[in-house]
Amino acid sequence: MLKQLKPRQQALLWLLSGLLVLSLLFSLQIGSVAISWRELLLALTGQAVSEPLTQTIIWQIRLPRLLVAMLVGAGLAVAGAVLQNVSRNPLADPYLFGLMAGAGLGATIVSIVLPDQLISMALAAFLGALLAVLLVFIACMGNRLQKMEVTLLAGVAVSFMLSAISSFILYFAEPFAANRVIFWMMGSLSRTDWHSVALIAPAVMVLLVVALAVRRQLDALLLSDDSARSLGVNTQRLRLVLLLLTALVTACIVAQCGGIAFVGLMVPHMVRYFMGVTAVPLLLGSALFGAIFMMWVDNAARSLLAMQEIPLGVITSVLGSVFFLIILRRQLQQGG
Amino acid sequence: MTAAIYTLDQLCLAYPNSRSTGSVLALDQITLTISPDEVVGIIGPNGAGKSSLLQLLNGRYAPNSGRILLSGQPLQQQSAQALARQVATVAQISSAPQGLFCEQVAAMGLLPHKRWYEGTSAQDKQQVRLALQQVGLADKAQLRADTLSGGELQRLYIARALVQQATILLLDEPTNHLDVKYQHQVLQLLQGLNKTIICCLHDLNLAARYCHKLLLLENGRVRAYGTPHDVLRPALLQQVFGLPCVVSSQADYGWLQVTFIPELAHAKVGVPSPC
Repeated sequence: MLKQLKPRQQALLWLLSGLLVLSLLFSLQIGSVAISWRELLLALTGQAVSEPLTQTIIWQIRLPRLLVAMLVGAGLAVAGAVLQNVSRNPLADPYLFGLMAGAGLGATIVSIVLPDQLISMALAAFLGALLAVLLVFIACMGNRLQKMEVTLLAGVAVSFMLSAISSFILYFAEPFAANRVIFWMMGSLSRTDWHSVALIAPAVMVLLVVALAVRRQLDALLLSDDSARSLGVNTQRLRLVLLLLTALVTACIVAQCGGIAFVGLMVPHMVRYFMGVTAVPLLLGSALFGAIFMMWVDNAARSLLAMQEIPLGVITSVLGSVFFLIILRRQLQQGG
Repeated sequence: MTAAIYTLDQLCLAYPNSRSTGSVLALDQITLTISPDEVVGIIGPNGAGKSSLLQLLNGRYAPNSGRILLSGQPLQQQSAQALARQVATVAQISSAPQGLFCEQVAAMGLLPHKRWYEGTSAQDKQQVRLALQQVGLADKAQLRADTLSGGELQRLYIARALVQQATILLLDEPTNHLDVKYQHQVLQLLQGLNKTIICCLHDLNLAARYCHKLLLLENGRVRAYGTPHDVLRPALLQQVFGLPCVVSSQADYGWLQVTFIPELAHAKVGVPSPC
């Protein structure tokens, strides 16, 4: 599959892979406790280190958190790339089904309405996200996902509806509980652990593998639905499977980490600009670049302010919008 | 006698009417056969059912009644992929694909022949090169498709259909938006492919010049089906298109030439056909 890529695309993928490994090693060092390179390598290879706490910090705190950051970045970016290609809509992103609003409603209900927290906030957010997807699919049933713009508009409508319910509940809620939900919705990796890795990793891997398996069908959709169908692509089934998988990945991510905006929208555009529009370089490039980007965003969130974490969604939105405007401007200057 | 590649038997197609519970009949009782390696032009006024018929022939729509046999087998029973190995469709060009290179667009024709785990072999690449060469775009393989002219883009889609290795090529208005030179270039290319070509055409003179057979549709019904000499009769064309016309034979080559003369509608004396 990689052999079919142009030398420039291959070189960029190798470069991103190298940057990913380097970013991981650097990020493992960043934190309130200073760890030397030697101790880091010893801890990673399972050998005895002078300070036993180092093992715990690396293996139980920093590594799972960084792996979740990589998976979240890769998952959102791949989901965004898939959705933008199947819908041929550059503004499609993983939150297009009102997933964030659904997850927010789930978290709000469980934190504020249910007194004894019968279920965890993450599970409630996951169920809320699934509810949003279900509502969008019910709204589009007659349309059979043929017209993607109908799906996108249904997502916007569902999003507003669920957000309104959340706002209504939050308005009457006790301020401390309301704050907790609002901060959760801004996104954070502080509550993640190996369980989060185990939950998100399979979903992201399945989406990536399926999307790579249908790479030719995804490319055919870039022409038009009619062209894709004349090449033997079952466009309805392809869209349904990919929409469900992207919804599942996003729901898993939102449930664990809250709302992390802009990654799914921005990363695929940046990768497309440097590596082209076809599926293989776009998906692999988005996965790698999304993972690197999210790791450094989390590093910044942990270290910019002393004793306090900045919500991830705030950083991704600021960085994302600036990068996005720069690329847009360059594209306009090139007349592309 | 050669076995028919398409057999259409009492085909009817109706679209649901968006403003009422009823439906609009797009095709009505179409019965005909198409032989292999023929170039068939579908002609008729707007709304006659030309594009709908193409959509039935490529399996996009299923008929409400009647049946279509493709090489003797019911078309509707074939999978989309199996169908794509036999029938290639070149839709009307609306816009060029953004960001794709010509080589990539042509290589999409490999899709019906590939399983998900299969890569592109050296033989496949050679096939793509040959197809681009055949349509005269070998030197543009590495160019972006959105930099091509309308005629080149049309030829690129034909190259993709050639890579698809289908024996039947369906084209919807392949000469739309093309200037005279490219119109002839594209139709000459199609004529030389030795495949079954079925295309909708608005220009009756191009249809007369390049098609072995013409199918004249009006309001979803077949008004005539046969050689250009059988179909292009002034009285029939006047009935179908609502304009008087003369049909002449080109002196040197013998091609028919249709000239519509709206002014004759107001003239008191009829004009005799030169044919």
